[in-house]
Amino acid sequence: MKRSRLFYLFTLLPLCLLPILTSCVDEEEYADTPEGNFEALWRIMDEHYCFFEYKQQTLGVDWQEVYQRYRKQFNNTMTESQEFEVLANMLSELRDGHVNLYSSFDIARNWSWHEDFPQNFSDSLYRRYMGTDYRIASALSYRILDDNIGYIYCGSFNNGMGEGNLDDVLSYLAPCNGLIIDVRNNGGGQLTNAEQLAARFTNQERLVGYIQHKRGKGHNDFSSMEEQRLKPSKGIRWQKKVVVLTNRSVFSAANEFVKYMKCSPNVTTVGDQTGGGAGMPFFSSLPNGWSVRFSACPMYDRNKQCTEFGITPDHWVSLTDEDFANGRDTIIEYARALMQSGK
Amino acid sequence: MNKKLVFLWLLMMPFLSASAQTDSLSRFQSNMIAIGPTNILDTYLSAEKYHGIDVRYVNHCSRPTHWKNISQTVIHQGELSFVNNRADNNDEIGGMYNFQYHLRYNWWLCDRKLRLEAGAGIDVNLGFLYNTRNNNNPAQARAAVNLAPSVAASYRSHIKSMPFVVRYEAMAPLVGVMFSPNYGQSYYEIFNEGNYDHNIVPTTIGCTPSLRQLLCFDFKPTRKWSRTWLRVGYFGDYQQAKVNNLKMHQYSHLFIIGITKML
Repeated sequence: MKRSRLFYLFTLLPLCLLPILTSCVDEEEYADTPEGNFEALWRIMDEHYCFFEYKQQTLGVDWQEVYQRYRKQFNNTMTESQEFEVLANMLSELRDGHVNLYSSFDIARNWSWHEDFPQNFSDSLYRRYMGTDYRIASALSYRILDDNIGYIYCGSFNNGMGEGNLDDVLSYLAPCNGLIIDVRNNGGGQLTNAEQLAARFTNQERLVGYIQHKRGKGHNDFSSMEEQRLKPSKGIRWQKKVVVLTNRSVFSAANEFVKYMKCSPNVTTVGDQTGGGAGMPFFSSLPNGWSVRFSACPMYDRNKQCTEFGITPDHWVSLTDEDFANGRDTIIEYARALMQSGK
Repeated sequence: MNKKLVFLWLLMMPFLSASAQTDSLSRFQSNMIAIGPTNILDTYLSAEKYHGIDVRYVNHCSRPTHWKNISQTVIHQGELSFVNNRADNNDEIGGMYNFQYHLRYNWWLCDRKLRLEAGAGIDVNLGFLYNTRNNNNPAQARAAVNLAPSVAASYRSHIKSMPFVVRYEAMAPLVGVMFSPNYGQSYYEIFNEGNYDHNIVPTTIGCTPSLRQLLCFDFKPTRKWSRTWLRVGYFGDYQQAKVNNLKMHQYSHLFIIGITKML
């Protein structure tokens, strides 16, 4: 190659590469001050939270108005505790159990979705019904009640369940006339665990809901709704009646479990409305290192209705004081009566 | 007779030495350790930038091909990075394997002391970034294949009786494909539910403006080391991507030290 061509190659090639040096892919960095942390938190939520439109419709939340109202409460002379408190107050405007701020000394949360309602679950009654000789398999505690109704308590979907565990549990309960699955006070966990349990109660693939995700920073930048389909388990599947017990503390993955189960035949839900939590949460962090959790991926029922504020039961039943005094769990007894009546 | 033999031997010397010096530029394999500071941003995991240390093992090999004036360069890299946020209360851990294969045309100048190379190759990256505190979005997978133009220049000389080679290489991905979740899409939705949403992304230098450059000094510290040279230098690796409304960068400035075998 002639020297002139060589000259051009080694002059032009670096020039072509110059855009690399000037094209920095970077993100605005906020100051690690109370004002900077406020700006960072407000912006993280503004760009990533998935329920703004829903919260505006249901609660009248205007995130821009929230900015204006809270901005003036911050100044760089605030203590860490004061800063945390005001940031927590701002997040609580959303009334979302999946929205939390984590510091080394506290976790900001809004639990009004269950704190504002009767608990409808008693640990004392639970221990009275379970006794001391109940069985434990993975995340499930179970026994056969004295009227030959099977009873499973699942308090969390945090831990996985082995397929073998589920086969053994359902085999043990197979002679029962019906099955109660109690998920009261189940605050959620892994969606895959909720799906795994629900898959034991359907013989065919079912449409159980829809899921979306954000595609951009705008409040309405969403993907299309994609179907959530529940496939039947290849292990033992329950064929008789099932009653699922719920209360206001049924949240997140447990809320999804109830959503899945309501799509299966032979399943009835009894108790109180669930707590909701239909937004799969993501995390981010602030300049001072505090973590923020927020709803990022909205999920809907099979009718494309948002279940963020809960799923209503088929039968509304609450614990009564009289029954409590007599050592009876009103909700369990109602479920047993339902199954005995054949309804 | 002895004087004639000596004279003949002296006449041959330039050709013999030229042959040995040509090898020091055209055929070598270098194994290096690289260490230095790194700056990582991945907005899928956090809006914050994380700073820390980047440690790598690099294998760098160059040799001629059977085509005239065409050489091939093969690079393998294994990388680990350990980074913290500004407040020093949260960590991320990153890892990456990089493979590069380049074919370059060679120009020999200045009495074959200066070698200039220009060409292109493929650049493959497989890796991950893990945030130790996040849930549902705790990690980001890295997978990319690129067509990358590259240049190199090497110059050999000596300081007193110590031969050395100064070498500079640079490559930048031009076009390729990479994996990326969409802006707020969970890995659960991609892999459990099988919902694809622009997750295999065609890329250009516009959305992945990145550069890798190596400046090294190979020298033979002692005559006892016949084909073994010592290498020290600087390795700058500036990887960036802006796809699916997500931003990532990793800027590493690394000191390298290694052994180069002239083949």
